[in-house]
Amino acid sequence: MIYLGGWEEIGFGLFRALQLIFSGDPEVLRITLISLRVSGTATLLGAAIGIPVGASIALRRFPARTLLISVINTLMGLPPVVVGLFLYLMLSNFGPMGFLRLLYTPEAMVLAQLVLVAPITAGVTLSAVSNVDARLKEMAVSLGADPLQEVRIILREARLGLLTAVIVGFGSAISEVGAIMMVGGNLLGYTRALTTAIVLLTNQGAFTEAIALGIILLGLAFAINILLTYLQLRTKAGLFAAETERHHPVT
Amino acid sequence: MKGKYLAGILLVIVAAAAAFALGLSGMAQSTPPERLVIATTTSTVDTGLLDYLKPHFDNEFHANMTWLYLGTGQALAVASRGDADILLVHDRVREDAFVKASNGTHRVTVMYNDFVLIGPQDDPAGVKGMSNVTEAFKRIAAKGEEGKAVFVSRGDNSGTNALELRIWSSAKITAKGKPWYIEAGQGMGPTVRISNEKQGYTVSDRGTWNKLKSEMGDNLKMQILVEGDKALLNPYGIILLNTEKYPNINSKLAEKFFLFMISDEGQKLIADFKVGEDQLFFPLFGKPDTIGLPSEKSEVQYWAQQLTSNQMKPPSWVQQIIVVAIPSIFTGDKN
Repeated sequence: MIYLGGWEEIGFGLFRALQLIFSGDPEVLRITLISLRVSGTATLLGAAIGIPVGASIALRRFPARTLLISVINTLMGLPPVVVGLFLYLMLSNFGPMGFLRLLYTPEAMVLAQLVLVAPITAGVTLSAVSNVDARLKEMAVSLGADPLQEVRIILREARLGLLTAVIVGFGSAISEVGAIMMVGGNLLGYTRALTTAIVLLTNQGAFTEAIALGIILLGLAFAINILLTYLQLRTKAGLFAAETERHHPVT
Repeated sequence: MKGKYLAGILLVIVAAAAAFALGLSGMAQSTPPERLVIATTTSTVDTGLLDYLKPHFDNEFHANMTWLYLGTGQALAVASRGDADILLVHDRVREDAFVKASNGTHRVTVMYNDFVLIGPQDDPAGVKGMSNVTEAFKRIAAKGEEGKAVFVSRGDNSGTNALELRIWSSAKITAKGKPWYIEAGQGMGPTVRISNEKQGYTVSDRGTWNKLKSEMGDNLKMQILVEGDKALLNPYGIILLNTEKYPNINSKLAEKFFLFMISDEGQKLIADFKVGEDQLFFPLFGKPDTIGLPSEKSEVQYWAQQLTSNQMKPPSWVQQIIVVAIPSIFTGDKN
């Protein structure tokens, strides 16, 4: 090996990553698909739960509201290992939910990431919806909007924030390792995801392969963020178009 | 119109989630080979032994061999909760306790290698070439007190950790808590890497050491200092779990794996496994007495019969034992 002051591993890693991507290595492909599948599902389910919950808390006034907001904010910082440990004990054959036979399955990994992602999505949604100009709501009501229409108008105004909530949720899911390691077990070809494979390869001293998978992981996150940002920008463009429409209605 | 757009997004999210979930469960159902989950120690994984055995076992038994990468302590804990199908670990004391607690039904020594004391190339404690590892530990501790040496322990309740602690206790030294004693709390590979960074001493199984050396090359600035002491022997046990206690495990495939590992084929495969030039594991089923361990005669006889009745060949040295055993059965019949 040529010695380049310690940079050679990172350099070779980059090279190896390209090699792995373009050679279509089946194992790498499988690991990548598992990561995408698990984190994608967790993100979508997290959005399906987190967005309605976050929006409801933002729009409604009820007694324990402040407490609930604090709870969500705390849950946003849930340590993945703790979630992993708790779910392991729940799903273990000797645990209360052992009969479900979910331990060391991709479904268990989805569940773990869902627990981590849903509060994050809810929290970001909550702040996005809360930040919608209060005058919009007043205006909608004064123009005779019924409650359902009112909610729609506000959510439409906050849609950029909602998309951000999904992006942030996906980012934390795909990069998470502690929880899926414990409940997934890092089983080859079944529950081995990019992050857990990186841990294993690092432990084995196979740094080049580890950094290669790391680069794939980064590339993946980047690609998905580009897609979502593009969507975001298009929505924004749509928003401007709508505004233009609003400003020049019947001229 | 725009309101419908939002409702549409939500609908798509829910639909996609459902589709993903369905796809996942579909994926789980459509895998024909049965999955075997081995709870094992980091060394069998880090050396690549299991990766090497997998295609042989998978092809022969139409199985999908997988493993949980754990220290022996955690492997035993996970198995005792019924979360693995079989154990392949290396801490005789706790293995026996595990079987005694009727968590396991059968245990045999399947292979061995040895531990080595490794340390920095300049060897500040001057232990290189010592034949007694306990004395070497004493010297490292003495240099550690002077602030000139560091010892990195696994500190993770693993088999290697247990062996290291036994050596400290036979040296009558309390290392835990000392400033020169670092507990890594990680697997063998990471611990060697930490001690490489800290230029400290550590105990590693020879397999992981060789593998890391071949992976890391000149970046691993450590060397073997003490080897060959009997206290450094590292036998691996394979344990069949108690199906009465754990009815949900894949016991059929677990037994197949047990048989595979102790069969002539498995033992030969283990002997043939090499990293670079070095053989990392030595087959030991049926002959633990050859390295001074207690013999496992009744288990070996039982399993030799099991092998034969499963149309599998016992290793050559075990066949000899059976030949010896048969006349004694005959004489038993005559009496």
